[in-house]
Amino acid sequence: MDLSVIVRNAPFMLGGLVLSFELAAITIVAGLTLGIILASARLSSKPVLYYPATIYVHFFRGLPLILVIFWLYFLAPVILGTSVNEFTSAAIAFVVFEAAYFAEIVRSGIQAVPTGQVMAAHSTGLSSLQTARFVVIPQALHNMVPALVTQAVVVFQDTSLGYVIGLREFLRRVNLTDAREARSVELYLFAGLVYFSICSLGSLASQRLEKRRAEGQ
Amino acid sequence: MIEIEHVSLWYGKEFKALDNVSETISSGQTVIICGTSGSGKSSLLRCINGLERFQDGKITVDGLSVQHARTNIQKLRSRIGMVFQHFELYPHMTALENITLAPVRVAKKSKQLARKEANELLSRVGILDQADKYPGELSGGQKQRVAIARALAMKPKIMLFDEPTSALDPEMIKEVLDVMVDLAEAGMTMVVVTHEMGFAKKVADEIIFMDQGKVIEKGNVHMFFRRPQTERAQQFLSRILV
Repeated sequence: MDLSVIVRNAPFMLGGLVLSFELAAITIVAGLTLGIILASARLSSKPVLYYPATIYVHFFRGLPLILVIFWLYFLAPVILGTSVNEFTSAAIAFVVFEAAYFAEIVRSGIQAVPTGQVMAAHSTGLSSLQTARFVVIPQALHNMVPALVTQAVVVFQDTSLGYVIGLREFLRRVNLTDAREARSVELYLFAGLVYFSICSLGSLASQRLEKRRAEGQ
Repeated sequence: MIEIEHVSLWYGKEFKALDNVSETISSGQTVIICGTSGSGKSSLLRCINGLERFQDGKITVDGLSVQHARTNIQKLRSRIGMVFQHFELYPHMTALENITLAPVRVAKKSKQLARKEANELLSRVGILDQADKYPGELSGGQKQRVAIARALAMKPKIMLFDEPTSALDPEMIKEVLDVMVDLAEAGMTMVVVTHEMGFAKKVADEIIFMDQGKVIEKGNVHMFFRRPQTERAQQFLSRILV
């Protein structure tokens, strides 16, 4: 074991975390936004909204993320007609893919609100919009926050897959360091430790929320 | 006040939940609806305030046709209070907030006035001390009394009760029924789906017995208990009056 290899290369490797965080942040914000739109369409009684959204969600949930990353990397330039850098193509792949997962979390959170709540709100004269705003959405958010936090952790872990198209995020930089230093054991253990620490914080937050939720009821 | 004319309701194509139901309920009356489960009692109640859409017939409340395209259903609903079997209090709001939501958002009252009126209602149902508690911290009987206060907050002319005591522990039934008796005696128009026959005898002006989506017997409560006309009603009574 030679831990000095980690100390020596830490600034370079950890620099990749910035990119990992950026990619995760973009995916969470844009993926969740798209997910909310998809979930609303999935809950709609209009077939023109329901079917496309449902097919979209099932399609992407049926594919491995790594495949979608490759697709976008090779297809995006063909479709857009210009070259696309690794980060942009990875970000699009992540958003498009994770949106399907966020959509299902949002949908089940909304569906978990009992219909009796909607009836009660309507019976007092509240409009559908008011019912959504004051009665359904607050409860749905409450239902879905733990799952959303867990999914955010998964997104962060998944950013390491950007590595397959040469995105210089954290894992790719560890990999490059290893090519130079030939210290695989130390370096990959270090990478594991970094991912584990960050994700544990997320899981801890999720557990806390879950507990607070249980106490609130 | 409530005019139900030849109303039929299907769930899907097969199941007829209401079959040509007609009934008139005048102002200030208390009408009890009873019958076995699945007989259409709750469906009928939900048709009155437009929570359920029926395919055939007509319901008029206060001169307004419930399913007419030009009827402002929100406005009509705010004149009809409803109380549910499982309370349906909003779990993320305190008892007081549950009551003030509609007066503030629908009737556009100031928060201050809505709160003052909510406190009056809570004291009327005997739980003013629970105003700042969340539904999860209340007993079943207290929850249902908050739910009644919430329904009364819009100053309805009619109150609908859908098995209001069926989900309660026996020792809590009385506290809810007492509130309902007070309401009936104060002249509220009430339609109550219930199997609480003691309550029915005390306050009901009329009783309706339903079976398989049809009204098969209606009339005076005491007559109904003493001499039910139909065999189905006799069977039903022999089962609930042990």
